[in-house]
Amino acid sequence: MNDEDFRRLCEFLYRRSGMVFTEAKRYFVERRLAERMRATGATSFASYFARLRSDQPGEVEPFINAFTVNETYFFREEHQLQCLSTDLLAARLRERPAGGPLRIWSVPCSTGEEPYSIAIWLLEHWPQVDAYEIEIVGSDIDTRALEAARAGLFGRRALMRLPEALIGKYFEPVDDEHWRLIADLRQSIHFSTVNLVDLAQTRAHGRFDVIFCRNVLIYFDEASRRMAAENLYENLLPGGFICLGHSESMSRISPLFEVRRFADAIIYQRPGERGDG
Amino acid sequence: MPLIRAGAGEAAAPAADHAADRAALVAALEGGSAGERLHAARALAVLPGALAPLSAALQMEAEPAVREVIFTALARLACEEAADALLPLLRAEEAGLRNGALAALAAMPARLPARLPALLADPDPDIRLLACELARALPAPEATTLLCAAVERESEPNVCAAALDVLTDLGGPQALPVLERAARRFDATPFLRFAFEVAIGRIRASTAIDP
Repeated sequence: MNDEDFRRLCEFLYRRSGMVFTEAKRYFVERRLAERMRATGATSFASYFARLRSDQPGEVEPFINAFTVNETYFFREEHQLQCLSTDLLAARLRERPAGGPLRIWSVPCSTGEEPYSIAIWLLEHWPQVDAYEIEIVGSDIDTRALEAARAGLFGRRALMRLPEALIGKYFEPVDDEHWRLIADLRQSIHFSTVNLVDLAQTRAHGRFDVIFCRNVLIYFDEASRRMAAENLYENLLPGGFICLGHSESMSRISPLFEVRRFADAIIYQRPGERGDG
Repeated sequence: MPLIRAGAGEAAAPAADHAADRAALVAALEGGSAGERLHAARALAVLPGALAPLSAALQMEAEPAVREVIFTALARLACEEAADALLPLLRAEEAGLRNGALAALAAMPARLPARLPALLADPDPDIRLLACELARALPAPEATTLLCAAVERESEPNVCAAALDVLTDLGGPQALPVLERAARRFDATPFLRFAFEVAIGRIRASTAIDP
């Protein structure tokens, strides 16, 4: 890969994912590129890049995956959970009308680590947890992932960030390598199928106080990303918050949201003052 | 446990957009607050007969967020009429309108083959340049055919550069003789000479090694 190729690849990566790689990371970029070229059988940068630009056959997703830590596990991006219990829920309680449950949406929820993490985090870290009804919904387009989420069976790696005390409190050992979430917690999350660009499907989920939508919009093309962002906007109550992945920026997708900087995280907010509630 | 059990709580009712009165939505789109216009644009997008009020609103709308939602609504409709409503905006003075129309048109590739030949032959070089970028939304063979024809007759260096940019990424081997011929016409324009070299080199590399 020559200098021009490196520049074009980094530019593509930035436009699709928001991730920035400079010359200092060239070795890392070259290694990830080599992996993808091997996997696709491409024998030149030019042929691989042409394949990538036309997203044939669906190469953008594995390409971006190669540059992200794409595994999911409990308490991933814990700073956002901290922000939820420290700032976001307090802000929602100040702004939202009284009554009705606090609604939190994890989308896409994959095999359930995120919505279950939110539940455990709130039970452990939000002092007002007993004073409010909290509804947590986990949704994904992948029905097999949802089945796994409902089953609530997790391996050691998924639990690596959880303190032993919490594993003992919320999980039951199945064997040496697997644990199952206690029934109470499994039954506390409502799982559903959703395609984020399908307006009818997103609308059917109603409105939420907080949405966690991490590391999915980067895989969409520009038009789909905008449609998904507008759907998510509608799924937020006025003043509601949306948390994206660390490499994502709503500002680059849609002008609908406002950026809010909290101590633990940068979060996007549906404005509450538009008179559209 | 304070968490609501799955299935116990009904999802909060979504906004009653489907039942909303179309006339009221059109009125809101024309004269409501920014929030009301935004809401009306999204609500109208799923109702029959949305095209006319959305297109009309686009001509008047100054709020970027509302405009964005209207562009997305038109892209979602993706019908012939929506494409026709967007085309004139490629000539708009305001960059925001031009770019919004360009993105919305790019999101409806099925509507482009019938329109791109005329756009690529437009008397206005700015339109031809934008049309090159639109061709990127087409499958590579179609884009290559259209852009090669454009490069063969193009006299404006910037339009040619825009076509080359797309062909560098998507062009197939059939583009090579066209580019080699056209390169000689622009031999006196250094930046284009370089762009042709890059495009030809990339296409050769990709087609020679991965047939």
